Amino acid sequence: MVQAKIKSPQPYARSKPRSGFDWSQYRPGEFYDEIVTRSGKARPATRSLVEFIRKQSIKHLVSRQQAADLAIQEMGVSFTVYSEGQNIDRAWPMDIIPRIIPLQEWRMLEQGLVQRLTALNMFIDDIYNKQQILKDKVVPQEIIDSSPEFLKQCVGAKPRYGVWSHICGSDLVRDSDGTVYVLEDNLRVPSGVSYMLENRAISKRVLPQLFDRNSIQPVADYPSQLFDMLASLSPRAVKHPEIVVMTPGVFNSAYFEHAYLAQRMGAELVEGADLVVGSDDKVYMKTIRGLSQVDVVYRRINDDYLDPEVFRPESTLGTPGLFRAWRKGNVGLANAPGAGVADDKVIYTFVPAIIKYYLDQDPIIPNVPSFLCVNSKHRKHVLENLASMVVKPANESGGYGMLVGPASTRKERALFAELIKKNPRNYMAQPALKLSTAPTLCGNNVEPRHLDLRPFILQGKSHYVTPGGLTRVALRKGSLVVNSSQGGGSKDTWIVDTEAR
Amino acid sequence: MLARTAERVYWLGRFLERTENTARLILVRHHAILDLPREVQPSWDLLLHVLGAEQGFAALRGVANEKNIISYVFGERENPSSIISSLTAARENMRTTREIMPSETWERINSLYLSVARRSQKDLPRGVRHAVLNSIVQSCQQITGMLAGTMNQDAAYQFIRLGRNLERADMSTRIIDAASAGLMGKAEDVSPYRNVLWISVLQSLSAYQMYRLNVQRNVSPEDVLEFLFQSTVFPRSIGHCLQELKHSMHLLPDHKPALKVMERVQARLAATDCNGLSGDALHEFIDELQVELEAVHDAIVSTWIAQGERR
Repeated sequence: MVQAKIKSPQPYARSKPRSGFDWSQYRPGEFYDEIVTRSGKARPATRSLVEFIRKQSIKHLVSRQQAADLAIQEMGVSFTVYSEGQNIDRAWPMDIIPRIIPLQEWRMLEQGLVQRLTALNMFIDDIYNKQQILKDKVVPQEIIDSSPEFLKQCVGAKPRYGVWSHICGSDLVRDSDGTVYVLEDNLRVPSGVSYMLENRAISKRVLPQLFDRNSIQPVADYPSQLFDMLASLSPRAVKHPEIVVMTPGVFNSAYFEHAYLAQRMGAELVEGADLVVGSDDKVYMKTIRGLSQVDVVYRRINDDYLDPEVFRPESTLGTPGLFRAWRKGNVGLANAPGAGVADDKVIYTFVPAIIKYYLDQDPIIPNVPSFLCVNSKHRKHVLENLASMVVKPANESGGYGMLVGPASTRKERALFAELIKKNPRNYMAQPALKLSTAPTLCGNNVEPRHLDLRPFILQGKSHYVTPGGLTRVALRKGSLVVNSSQGGGSKDTWIVDTEAR
Repeated sequence: MLARTAERVYWLGRFLERTENTARLILVRHHAILDLPREVQPSWDLLLHVLGAEQGFAALRGVANEKNIISYVFGERENPSSIISSLTAARENMRTTREIMPSETWERINSLYLSVARRSQKDLPRGVRHAVLNSIVQSCQQITGMLAGTMNQDAAYQFIRLGRNLERADMSTRIIDAASAGLMGKAEDVSPYRNVLWISVLQSLSAYQMYRLNVQRNVSPEDVLEFLFQSTVFPRSIGHCLQELKHSMHLLPDHKPALKVMERVQARLAATDCNGLSGDALHEFIDELQVELEAVHDAIVSTWIAQGERR
C-alpha cells in the first residue's frame, strides 16, 4: 500500500502552488525563537513573514539573498578586518530574513534603554565631580580607583546637560525563557548604526512585497536626530554650527560608517591632522580657504588617541590641544572623554544599583547575573564553573579576549583560570545565556541561528532611541559569537505594530 | 571644504579621466591595426610609450607582443598606469570622499571597478576587446554625467573638474606625441596611410566627427594639430581644457596665484603656430607643454591644497 502510494503518479501535484519551506523542519529546540513559538507556529507579529517563507521556494529565497549580496557589493557596504595580515575590506554580511519585535514589547524596552542611559550619564557626571555615589558607598571607591577608563584629566569637567555619553549602543539578548537582558553598554564609540540603516535599505530593495503587509517603524530618521543632538552641543550660539565627524582614517574597521554618517548629516569628515587648536584654545579645520572654526566634534576615535598633549604622546591620529579646547568649553565633544568609566564590565554589575540611586526606580530591563572576579567568593564560583560561563575582560570590545565556556577547550579554560588569578579586577563572568534564535538562510536551508540586538540611544537635551537597532547573528551553527569581526552576520530588524492594520 | 578632501576629489577627477582615456587609447590602437596592412602597422609598443610604461613592462613581461602589452596596460596592478590601477585609485579616492559624493556615483564606480577587477584576471582577446573597453569608456562618461547632473556644483565639483581637464590635456599631448612618431616602414609605403593615421589620432580623442564638423576640410596634419591644440569648442582639445581649468579656478576662492600660471600657459599655447610643427619641433613643443601642465598642477596644489598647512 505505502509503496503504491509513493509510486502512483500525481498528475496535479505539480500545478499546485510551488512547494515552499516546510516549517516543521525548523527546530530551535530549547532556545527561544524570535519568529516561531515552541510548537512551530508564527508569533502574532511574524505571521506574514512565516507565511511568506512557507510559500516561497528555497530557490527563490536564495536568489533574493544573492540579489541582496550583490546590492551590498555594489553599494560598497563594507567593514575592515584587521587580523588577516592586512586590512581587507569585506562586504557586509546580511541575512535577508528579518528579525521581528512587536511594537508593544519594544515600547517597554525603549523606556528601559532611556532609563539606563540617563542614570549612567548621571553616574559619570557624579564620578568626575562630587563623587557622591562613592561617598554613599553604593559603588566601591576602589573600583573607580583601579579603572583604566577613569581619566583624572576629566575631573571637574561639566559638559552641557551633564551628559557625557551622547551616543550609546547597548547590547540586548534574550534568554530561553523569553526575558530580555542588557548584556553590555557601549558608552564610548559604539558602531553599527550605519549597517542598521543599510540593512533596511537593502531589504526594501529585495523584499518589497513584505513591507506592504506589515506596519514597520521606519529607521531612516537617525542621521537627522544625530545631527540635531550634535548641534545642541555647540558652544557658539550660531544658526549653523560647524559639525565634523572625526575618523582615525580609511584603515579603521568602521571607516565606512564614519563616511556614511558624515554624508547623511552633511558634516565634514575629518582626520586628526585636518584639525588644529589655535593659541585661543579654539578648534579649527584646514580648508581650501584656510582655517575655519569647528563647534562640535563627533569623534570616532578612542580617548587614548584623541589628543597627544594629554593622552598617548605618540598618537598621530588625534589633534594636539583638542582636550584643552573641550575643557575650556570651546568645542563640543561627543562622546565626552572619560565616558568609558561607566561601560567597564565591572561597573556593569552595579548598573541596577546606579539606576536605583539616581532615579529611585527599578531597572526596566534586567542585567545578566554577573560575577566579579575581584570578589573572592564570586571568583571561586567562576573558577569552578568555567565550562558553563562566559568570561570577559573588563575593558575589551568587539568580542576580543573572551572565553565562551561551553565552546572552550580544557587548555583555554586553564589559560583563563591563570589570567583571572593574576588580575582578578580585569575579569567578570556571566552564566552562558541560551541566546534566542531566528530563522536564517544557511546554504539551501532555513535554520535557527543565535542573535542579539544593538539599539542606539541618543542623549543631549532630550532622548532618542532607534526603532529596533542592529541585529547581529552568529552564522556558524551553534555559535554564540555575533561580532562581525568574528564571522557574524546581521539582519534587518523590524518593530512591527500588530494593532495597526 | 577640507583641503584634504579637495586633494582627493581632484585626484578622483584625474584618475577617472585617465581610466577613460587609457581605454580609449587601447581601443583606437586596436582599430587602427585592423585597418592597416601588416607591413605599415604601428607597433603595439607605442601604447607603452604613450603611457610611459616601457621600463615597467620590460621588467615584468619581457616579450612585447600584442597579448602581453594589452594585458599589461589593461589589467596589471603592478603597472601604475594600467586601467585597473587608475580605476582602483579613482575608486579609492571616491571611497574616501564618499561623504560628499552622491551615493549613486559611488555605486556606479564601485560596480565598474568590480567588473573590471574580475575581467582583469583574464586576457583581453580581440573578440571581446571592443565590448569591454567601450563599456569602460561609457561607464566613465556615465559617472561624469551623474556628477554633472546630481552633485552640488560647489568647490568640490570644481576640484573634480580641475582634475579631469588637466588630465585630459595631458593625455591629449601624449596621444599626439605618440602619433607623430608615425607609421613604421619606408616613407613611400607609409604615405598613402598617413590619413588613416591622423584619423585614428582624432578617433582616439573622439574628435573625428567634431573635426569634420568644425574644420570642414579633409584631414591634414596641420589642421588636425591646430584643432587638437587650439580649438576652443572641442572639449578634448588642449585649448578647451585650459579654458575649462580657468573657469573652474575662477569659481574657487583666493584664486589669484593659480590663475596667473594658468594665463601664462594659455598665452603660450595661443601664440604657437601649428603650421611649423612637425617631427622634432613638434616633439619638443609637446615636451614644453607638458612641463607647463605640470606647473598648473603645482599651482593648484600650492593655492588650495597646501593652503591649510600654511596658515
